[in-house]
Amino acid sequence: MEEKRTLWGEFSKGLITTNPLFVLMVGLCSALAISTRVESCIFMGLAVIFVLTCSNVIISLIRNFIPDQIRIPIYIVVIASFVTIVDLTLKTIPAVYERLGVWIPLIVVNCIILARAEGYASDAKVSHAAMDGLGIGVGYTSVLLIMSVFRELFGSGKIVIFNKTLINLGIKNMPVILILFPGAFITYALLSALLAWYQERKTTIEISRELPEGLPEGAYAYETLRQSGRSSAPPVETKEQ
Amino acid sequence: MNEGWRFFLLFFGSALVANILLIRFIALCPFFGVSNSLETSLGMSISVIFVMVMASSVSWVAWNYVLEPLHVGEFLYIPTFILIIASLVQFVEMVIKKSSPPLYRAMGIYLPLITTNCAVLAAATESVKPGFFTKLNIAYSYGFIESVVYTLGVAVGFSLVLIIFAALRERLDMAPVPKYFKGIPIAFITAALFSLAFMGFAGMFSL
Repeated sequence: MEEKRTLWGEFSKGLITTNPLFVLMVGLCSALAISTRVESCIFMGLAVIFVLTCSNVIISLIRNFIPDQIRIPIYIVVIASFVTIVDLTLKTIPAVYERLGVWIPLIVVNCIILARAEGYASDAKVSHAAMDGLGIGVGYTSVLLIMSVFRELFGSGKIVIFNKTLINLGIKNMPVILILFPGAFITYALLSALLAWYQERKTTIEISRELPEGLPEGAYAYETLRQSGRSSAPPVETKEQ
Repeated sequence: MNEGWRFFLLFFGSALVANILLIRFIALCPFFGVSNSLETSLGMSISVIFVMVMASSVSWVAWNYVLEPLHVGEFLYIPTFILIIASLVQFVEMVIKKSSPPLYRAMGIYLPLITTNCAVLAAATESVKPGFFTKLNIAYSYGFIESVVYTLGVAVGFSLVLIIFAALRERLDMAPVPKYFKGIPIAFITAALFSLAFMGFAGMFSL
């Protein structure tokens, strides 16, 4: 039971507490470039989940045999092999491959994967590393999906997946800018501001309840504490929570 | 269209029309990471131009004289290129450290970061391996000089935007910004406006 709970913890922290895109700020490039269409996001998300989980497992398996000095090249070779598998697999679907283009080989240098290999899988149990990879991958994919649904729906007025129209607003003259390049930046900025608002609200409530027992890990805890310290004193009206 | 004009178009096309940061979103992590101050972004820009051009040239040689003749390019190009970049960065770091300490002090800390800079791998892959080249409407035949000119354009475009953006962000720190937009969100909004401006180049060169 205990084991199960920690595994779930490893998985779920990737969704919000250490979400790769908003909290760790890694892997932005692909997220912004690909989120113009929901369909490409699904494939990209699957590719990243696959590569992240597999490379986490392999690195965690061989972590005791890797000499410390050359660990980064070894990680990169492990990651590159899995990316090659994805590359050759996706090539069988030409329409998707053409749209994702150079982003498939670029998964190798996607900071999410190297950051998890170096920062987590290099000293974690295999099962934990696998769950961490899955969690971070799903966190990445969910943000990708949120962004792409927003951009495709409001940018073009409809969502098309595998040549099937799922939602059609039926409105002409949608703000095309959301599909174009600036739209990616704007969408990310809005989501990130929304998250800042949500987190501050959450922290002020938590602080007014006294500091929680187990602090969330690392940089995140430091950041929230610092943020709440900088903003004015915890509001009194949230005390009844 | 003569050769010189074509190279000119290739250079400006890759630097401005298909700007790697604002139009194609490659290498955003170092973009938002080091654009805090003008000085660091200058150091980063010089290092990126240098490493990128070298990486593309070496990758070109590896692709055309090793991978392609042996017919292993399709499935070995990713590990090969990334290892070329990683070892090149190490090599450049050692050479600079020995030969020019002042330059090392200026560039040193950015060199390891460049290994995971996706722009380097992207430029190397696009300019060397057929099938990824950006739609620039320019005849491109994967020659050596073409690949160097293209990479140089990409690197110059990267540096230009990085330096301008760093200057903008230094001003942004003092600007009155809505509370929840402070820091990263407002930087992204700025980048959006910046990107909108760069879209204008597409019409200017009518490539």
